[in-house]
Formats: sequence, C-alpha cells, structure tokens
Amino acid sequence: MADATLPAAPARRRRIASPMLRRILRDRLALAAAILLGLICIAAILAPWLAPFDPYNTTRRPFVPPRWSEGSLPQYWLGTDGQGRDMLSRLLYGTRLTLVMGLASVIVGGGIGALFGLLSAYYRRIDPYVMRFADILLSFPAILLGLALAAVVGPGLTAIVIALSIATIPDVARITRSAAIVVMGQDYMEAGRAVGLSDRTLIWRYLALNCLSSVFVFLTLRFGQIILIGAALSFLGLGVRPPEAELGMMASLGRDALFFAPHIAMLPSLMIVMIVLCANVLGDALRDLLDPRLRNT
Amino acid sequence: MKHLTSMATGALLGLAALSGPALAQGSNASLTIVREVDSDRYDPHRSTARAASEILFMMGDTLVSLDHDMATIKPGIATSWTTSPDGKTYTFKLRNDVSFCDGKKLTAQDVAYSIKRWIDPATRSPVAWRAGQVEDVVATDDTTIEYKLKAPFSELLYQLTQSFAVIVDKANVEALGADFGVKGFNGTGPYCWGDWKPRNEFRLKKHAAYKWGPPIYENKGAAQIEEIVWRIVPEENTRLAAVMTNQSQVTQYVPYSGMAQLRANRNLKVIESKEAFWTYFVGFKIDKEGVNDPAVRRAIVMAVDQKAIADNLYFGEVEPAYSYISTEALDWNKALTSKLIKTDVAEANKVLDAAGWVKGADGFRMKDGKKLSPIVYGFTGSTWQKLMEAIQGDLRKIGVDLRIQLFDATIAWGKLATQEFDMFGMSFPYISAGDALNLYFRSTNAPTPNRMNWKDARTDELLTKGSSALNDADRAAAYGEVLTQVHEAAVWLPLYHEPMKIAASARLAPFKAHNIYGCGLYKGLDLKFVR
Repeated sequence: MADATLPAAPARRRRIASPMLRRILRDRLALAAAILLGLICIAAILAPWLAPFDPYNTTRRPFVPPRWSEGSLPQYWLGTDGQGRDMLSRLLYGTRLTLVMGLASVIVGGGIGALFGLLSAYYRRIDPYVMRFADILLSFPAILLGLALAAVVGPGLTAIVIALSIATIPDVARITRSAAIVVMGQDYMEAGRAVGLSDRTLIWRYLALNCLSSVFVFLTLRFGQIILIGAALSFLGLGVRPPEAELGMMASLGRDALFFAPHIAMLPSLMIVMIVLCANVLGDALRDLLDPRLRNT
Repeated sequence: MKHLTSMATGALLGLAALSGPALAQGSNASLTIVREVDSDRYDPHRSTARAASEILFMMGDTLVSLDHDMATIKPGIATSWTTSPDGKTYTFKLRNDVSFCDGKKLTAQDVAYSIKRWIDPATRSPVAWRAGQVEDVVATDDTTIEYKLKAPFSELLYQLTQSFAVIVDKANVEALGADFGVKGFNGTGPYCWGDWKPRNEFRLKKHAAYKWGPPIYENKGAAQIEEIVWRIVPEENTRLAAVMTNQSQVTQYVPYSGMAQLRANRNLKVIESKEAFWTYFVGFKIDKEGVNDPAVRRAIVMAVDQKAIADNLYFGEVEPAYSYISTEALDWNKALTSKLIKTDVAEANKVLDAAGWVKGADGFRMKDGKKLSPIVYGFTGSTWQKLMEAIQGDLRKIGVDLRIQLFDATIAWGKLATQEFDMFGMSFPYISAGDALNLYFRSTNAPTPNRMNWKDARTDELLTKGSSALNDADRAAAYGEVLTQVHEAAVWLPLYHEPMKIAASARLAPFKAHNIYGCGLYKGLDLKFVR
C-alpha cells in the first residue's frame, strides 16, 4: 500500500504546483507586489544593518529635505525630521515595527478567531453564543477599542496589538465558521466519525486544514486593513512610545510641517500605501489561486 | 518638493474655505478669531482654562486692570483704592456709571457677591486661593467695597485683575443655576453673550453702553466691532490658512512655522509683546528614586539644549528658558540670572560620573543595579510630543533613558495627580514670581499642583512672608530667596518662555498685544478695521 502511494505523491505535487507557479508568473501585478513586499520585508528585517544612522539620534539639522530637493545634505538620502533624525533610518525601523504590529495582530486575532469559528461549526450547541459574542465584538470599532485600551493600559505597542487583534477576531470567526460548516457536511467528516476518530483529530486534521486556505486568503487581505487601522491609531497618538519609529506616528509628527517639509509626512504615508497595496494585490491573487473553480484555467 | 508644498497648501486652503462663510469685508460689522480649543463653561469662578479667560475678559470686568507691561495695576470698575497700614483691608471706590449687558446698574453689592461666590466652598472654585484669605467683603455703600483679609496678601491687586475676579450678576447666577456660564452670562464687559455652540463658535455682541474700559486702551468708549466670533479650529495649519485667506482676521494661535509666511504677507501683520509670561517646563518628583539625586536633576537640566529646542522646534520664535519664570516678571531675583544652569553636555556627564552613575553596555547609566530610566508624563498633542522627544534625544547623550508616557487631556490631569511618574511636563501663565511660586512650591499644594513634592519649611515660611509683605522690597526679597532655593535644587527643567504673537489682518488698526493669562487680546477695545 505504502509502496503504491509513495511514488504518486511527487507527481501530484507537480500537477498542482506547476499550474500555480505558471499562474503566479502570469499575474505580473501579483509578482510585482510579491517582489516589492519581499524587498520591503527584507529591508525592515535588515534595518539595523541597512540604516545609515541611529534612528533615535537627534541632531541640530532638522527639516533637511531629501536628496532630490534644494537645500539637501548628501549624508541624508531622505532628509531629516523635525528633531534632526535621519528619515531613511527611521523609515526602515518604522516599517519594521509597522509590519510586526500588523503580523502580530493578524496572527493573534486570526488564531483566536479561527479557533472560535471552528469550534462554533463543530459544536453546534455553542454556535449561537459564539456568534453573538462575535456580534458584540463587531459593534466596537477598532479605533474605539484602541482608545479604551490606551486609557486603561496606556498607549503603546501592546495596546495597539490587543485592539487590532480583538478587531480581527469576529471577522475571522465568521469566515472560518462559514467555511467549516461546508466541510462539516462532507462525507469524509462522517466517515471519520464512523471510524471513531476523536473530536480533536477531526477538528485539527480534517476541519482546520480544509478551512485553512479560506482563512489564509482573508488574513492576507485583512493584513492591509490592519496596517491602516494601526497607522491611524498611531496617528492619533495611541501607538508606540517615542523614540520608537512607527509609520503612522511618523506621518502624524510630520503633519505640522506639511507646509514647509512635506517629506516628513509623505514618506511614511507612501510606505503605508505601498505595504497595503502589495498586501491587497497579493491577497486577491492568492484568492484566485486557491479558488478550485479557477485552478485549472 | 515645491510641487508637494503647493499641493499641501492647496489642500489646507480648501479646508479653510470649508470652515465658514467669508465675512463682510471692510466694515466693523464682524471679526472672526480662530483658536485651538473651547472651554467647557464660561463661569469665571469655575473655569481656569485660557479659552474661558479669553472670552470672560471680553464679557466681564474686574475691579482693577493690568497694564500691557504686566506690572502696573490700573483702574477697572474701581477708580481708586487704598490699603490699610496693616495690609489687611483694601477699600475700593467704584465707578457710578457701570451697567450689565441687560441694562441693570452695577453696585458694590454685586462686587461683594462675586468675591463671596468665588471663595464659597460650594462653588468649588479651583482658584479660590487667588482671592487671598478673605475675612469678609463688605459693600459699605453703592460705590464702596471693603475687602478684608485675615492676613496681608501682597498679590491681591494682581489676582483681582484676572478673569476669576470678573464681576457677576447675582440674579443671573441664580436664574441660570448649573447653566450659568453655559447658557448665558450677564457681565459688564465691552461685549455681551451672543450665542455659544460648544466646540464650534462663540458669538459676542457689542455692549453699546460700555464706557468704563481700562485706561490702557486708546478707545475710551464702547467696542468698535459689532460682533466678535471666536471660532474653534483645532488644526494649526488650518488656522494659519484661515488667517492667510482672511477667514479669520486675528488670532494668537498660529504655528511658529508659519511666522515667516505671515510676516512676508502684505495683508497681514504680526503683533508681538516682549513679555513672555507663559512658561513650559518639566518638573521632577524629587522623592522618586533616581531623580531624588540632585546630581541627576542637575545633569538633566544641563543636558537639555533649550536654545536648540527654541530654534529647531519653534523656529527661534520662543525664548529659551533657563529660569522658572520670565526674568522680566515682577519680583524676579536678578542676582540669580547669572547663576542659572546653562546647557553643557560634557559637564552633565561629569556630574553623573562623579555621582556614581556608570554607563552600561547599552549606553545608559546604572547605579546600585538600578538603571537611570525616569518616566515622564505629559499631554498628547504635537507640542509635548515634540518637546519630549527632543528632551529624550538630549538625555540619551548623557546616558539617561527617558521613558515618555503621554495622555489625552481628559485623563492626563488625573494621572498627573498620582505618584506614578518621575517627571512631568507642564506649562503655566503667571503675572509675577509670587503668583508662580505660591502655586507650585507650597507644601500644602502637594501632590498637585506641587507635583514635585517639594516640601520645605523655609520655602513655606518665605512664601507666607512674601504674600503678606507690606511693601514691594520685602515681597521681592522673600520671593527672591525662594527662587534661589528652588533653582539651586534643580526642581524643574525650564524649557521655554512663550511670547505673545498675534497674527492680524493689516486692515485692523494698530493695537498692543497683552499677556494677561496668555490672552493676547484682553478686552479687545482697540480692535477696529481701518480699511
């Protein structure tokens, strides 16, 4: 039996992987988004090595414009902010923190939400309670949650991640539940029950794995939204503590200098736009890719 | 970059255009003043915000007024006054021609009622102490008031110029009850309550019968503008755009970054007063670990570059502060001027080295296993965010890891009344050394506003001596000694003195900027359009 199935596995992988790869390569926009997001992520990870200056070091040269503008200084490629700190270095560190904030919120919120959704679909008696709880969570906008949390625990990365995670839970729970309910109706679930598989095995091995693609696609799209909400919270002063750099907070600090040093607000804002755009394009491409109806086109 | 700038300017001008209809030009029909925030109410005894004082000065009058020099007391409702030899009784002679906005004549009974309401515990005035230790206020006849104190109070006349001492109408207070200052206010000022839309705008109508303004104004009669609209525009660049597009004709709330643009604009002028009696500082809670070491406090004060802050963050428009109050303020100790701590990073490092604070691998200092990492509380908003980050940057250079925690104003005041923090950011208006010192350094004022927990018997003794002094020299000597004490102990890190700068339309007649409680227009009697 084992001998018979083993050789088949690579062939199956090739059958699926090749069209997927072909379609990824064919979707030029998705490819560009993937490359750009990849580069942004690599730059963010390597920030301590790539940043030309200490991002926290204040100098007596504030509001220096970027290299392409009149009055720039050669050592500051993207100029300096209002405290004389190097914009390029802060942008690298800021992107890092923004990505961490987005990923942490998506992983925590997505994980909890998916768990609620799976349990809700599997144990139908708890379904109404879980879904009503999701409704309650949905009635609180993320910004309001962030404000409330900042008031209780003080502004900071923790408060923002908690707020964004909570805001992610209900949506993910609903998506997971709807996907899981379809899986629950499949014959192999009944078969699993008939052969005496435990609830745990059924939930994790059959239910969760079959819902994974839907949840993953949703979270990819959600990642862009999370970054935007997180940036908005930071813009309102509820984000990370100074001197840490975060894109939303950097844009907020540049607001006062919009008239005479627009690069301070514009550069982090552009970075946010790029990250969100890339995440959305990739999310869309991933959705198309994992859609069985489009798989063989 | 130029393209970006013009895009930003265009966007903001667009915003400003949406903020309200253009006003009738070239007449004295209406004048719009934009400002940042509104007050929650306009009750002189319960509102301590500058936003409230700005309007109360226009709607009401005080017994005495303050000249533009911030030092000379001038007549107000009272034409003259005398002080008893023991300094405990002030007798004010009132004008006989003053009337409220509703036409009712003002009498000494109204003055007595106003002062008594101010100090009545039931009023819960946070500034009742400013009236002194009042024994009684008696109207001996319709135009004479006897203000009797339990102890002499040398600051009294200065305090009586403030908006808290505005004369109110008893009938109006009783009729409105909890809505006094919310739904109406019947005052004797050059302007009367028109219409208040909270957090939007306050309309004031001219008080036609007004002719008892302070003698500091050229205009001795009624106000010359028919209607003043105080409009709330929270965003500073939008306020700047509003002034530049004539949506607002006068405001003191323009960003310093826009001053050069304003000065270059032929349609605008910037009116300035050299007195800067609004000071920004960071205080130390002197009994908290780390900052309880005088060497640490001294080093922190030395490390922060106030000149750079003034130049970089405020484009050189503010005065770097090394003293806790302006050196132009009444009773400033001139002998102290040369001894003030100035910026010297190398010396700051030496002071910390000598005090046993050793730099660790992360560049921050430690002593007895404790990292030098004070936490500072302040207000959210660009002002304190920028200031705190500048201070944080400077302190990193001497190995101090400043942790910044900023709160929205709705919770910040509560947080600032706790013992949780090591340092705090604050700004305050004052009229004299005594005004500032009595507020912040009396041991009975801990934990707030004496958030430093400065409890010193000698200070208390000197403050009492200063406030009960019977002559200027004794008062100045007592306050001068307190100033020396607190400056030597490095209890505050002074940042800058904020001067009064008012952006005004060139069509407005020349007028002087005032500085009373940070209200640049004071009573606004000289405001008028000349073209």
